[in-house]
Amino acid sequence: MRVRAYARVLRASAKTIFAYRVSFLFGSVGAIFQLLAMVALWTALLRNRDELAGFSLTDMKSYLLVGYATGVLGTGFGEQWMAERIRSGAVSLDLVKPLNYQKARFAESLGGLPMEVALVVVVGTVFTSFAGPVMTPAYHLLFLISLLAVVPIKFMILYVSTLICFWTQNYHGVSWARNVIVAVFSGALVPLVFLPQWVNVLATALPFASITSTPALIFIGRISEAEAARLVGLQLMWVVLLWYIGQFAWRRSVRHLTVHGG
Amino acid sequence: MGHVRFYLRSLGAHIRAVLEYQSDFWILVAAGIGTQTLGIVFLGAVFARVQTLNGWTFGEVVLIYALAGLAQSVVPVIADGIWELGKSIHDGNLDYYLVRPYPPVLQVMSSQVGFNGVGDTVGAGILLGWALFHVDVGWTVGKVLVGAILLVSAIVIRVAITVASNSVSFWVRSPFPMFATAVYHVGELARYPISIYGFALKLVVVVVVPFAFAGFVPASWLLDKGGYGWLGLLTPVVAVAWAFLAYRMFHHGLRRYESAGN
Repeated sequence: MRVRAYARVLRASAKTIFAYRVSFLFGSVGAIFQLLAMVALWTALLRNRDELAGFSLTDMKSYLLVGYATGVLGTGFGEQWMAERIRSGAVSLDLVKPLNYQKARFAESLGGLPMEVALVVVVGTVFTSFAGPVMTPAYHLLFLISLLAVVPIKFMILYVSTLICFWTQNYHGVSWARNVIVAVFSGALVPLVFLPQWVNVLATALPFASITSTPALIFIGRISEAEAARLVGLQLMWVVLLWYIGQFAWRRSVRHLTVHGG
Repeated sequence: MGHVRFYLRSLGAHIRAVLEYQSDFWILVAAGIGTQTLGIVFLGAVFARVQTLNGWTFGEVVLIYALAGLAQSVVPVIADGIWELGKSIHDGNLDYYLVRPYPPVLQVMSSQVGFNGVGDTVGAGILLGWALFHVDVGWTVGKVLVGAILLVSAIVIRVAITVASNSVSFWVRSPFPMFATAVYHVGELARYPISIYGFALKLVVVVVVPFAFAGFVPASWLLDKGGYGWLGLLTPVVAVAWAFLAYRMFHHGLRRYESAGN
């Protein structure tokens, strides 16, 4: 067991992100503006009606707030660093370290959590005071577990997609393309029930709904407790499955490493 | 004229470089089209259940969205390099630009081509074409001419905002353009009818960072609707002012630049 080694990686990452806290805060502004835009849009849409597809304005605001939180948590501090190191070949230095690459990156990602949680708490408090009233979670414990499960799931999706950098030179394209897919199929763009049937069918077979839709629906109590428990179970299954997919993808990708000169 | 020629040659060199990596090219184009599609997925899902958003029809909202998207999509094609400014400052690579007899700001802007812009342009162009068929505009020769001027002004505004916000890297030292990214996301607000926002947000997108002039305001003039139409004719003025501001900011920042040393 090298738990202590990974704990050090986690601490180092937490320190780095704290050192770059100004950048971190600037980086978080974008999501806040998107939240504001969406709240304004839904407020306008629900001004003269009680609900749309079963969502009241209070439901929708709560949904958006949870969507914001799951967008911030586990944003994968290090995603850009990792991509840049693969692109430049500097990743070869990570290869000689006696640490599992995936576990080390996960530890780095967890290092971002303290700042992310702090941000979510602050924004959530301001949001509920001004954009008010949001509800309290329908099923407290299930909501908490589903929120926690978001962190590893998001990490693994970021991790696997960043490994594509072993094949391509341009990371931004990969990152944007992934964000599009995640936004649609996670329910972050709009609750899945608003989208066509085939999107919903596809979404049930993909891990993305576990990121936003599951915790948000549990929060607003749109689903029964049994259904909530089933979705949380599905999230946990994805955690395990994606972990092994990540390990497999790493073994395949690392063979493509190109290191220029020395 | 010499400047234009050098600019095009610089971009051309990078186009050839990117085309060497064909998978990158296609990923970027696909990511661009996908990103433009996102908003339409959202709007389409919503307008399947409502007739108007604050009095704006689906066609009109798509027009605003597409116009803003088109103005934004040109930026990656002609000025993508500016996003690397923070990194160049951090690494000291800006030195190379300073010793060449050609304005550094233009060199930085043309130091990269973002092919996602190609996908963005295609996506936004198709949307704009569709929208123009579905809205009521009393077309005259004058309206076509002014419309073209407004479109060019909108592009200039987007480029200027991108250059100005990235120039902040001279003050906020970080290899990643966090501030500019945050500002970029504010632009998302201007892709919807700004009448849905409260006073503070309107102030931000009209006055503080005039994204509204690169989307909503010109569209409002074209449709002669929403009470902001008259502002549309100010778009070229805003464009010139912001181009000047961006240029001044870059040069002011450049005086603070100190190389990384060897």
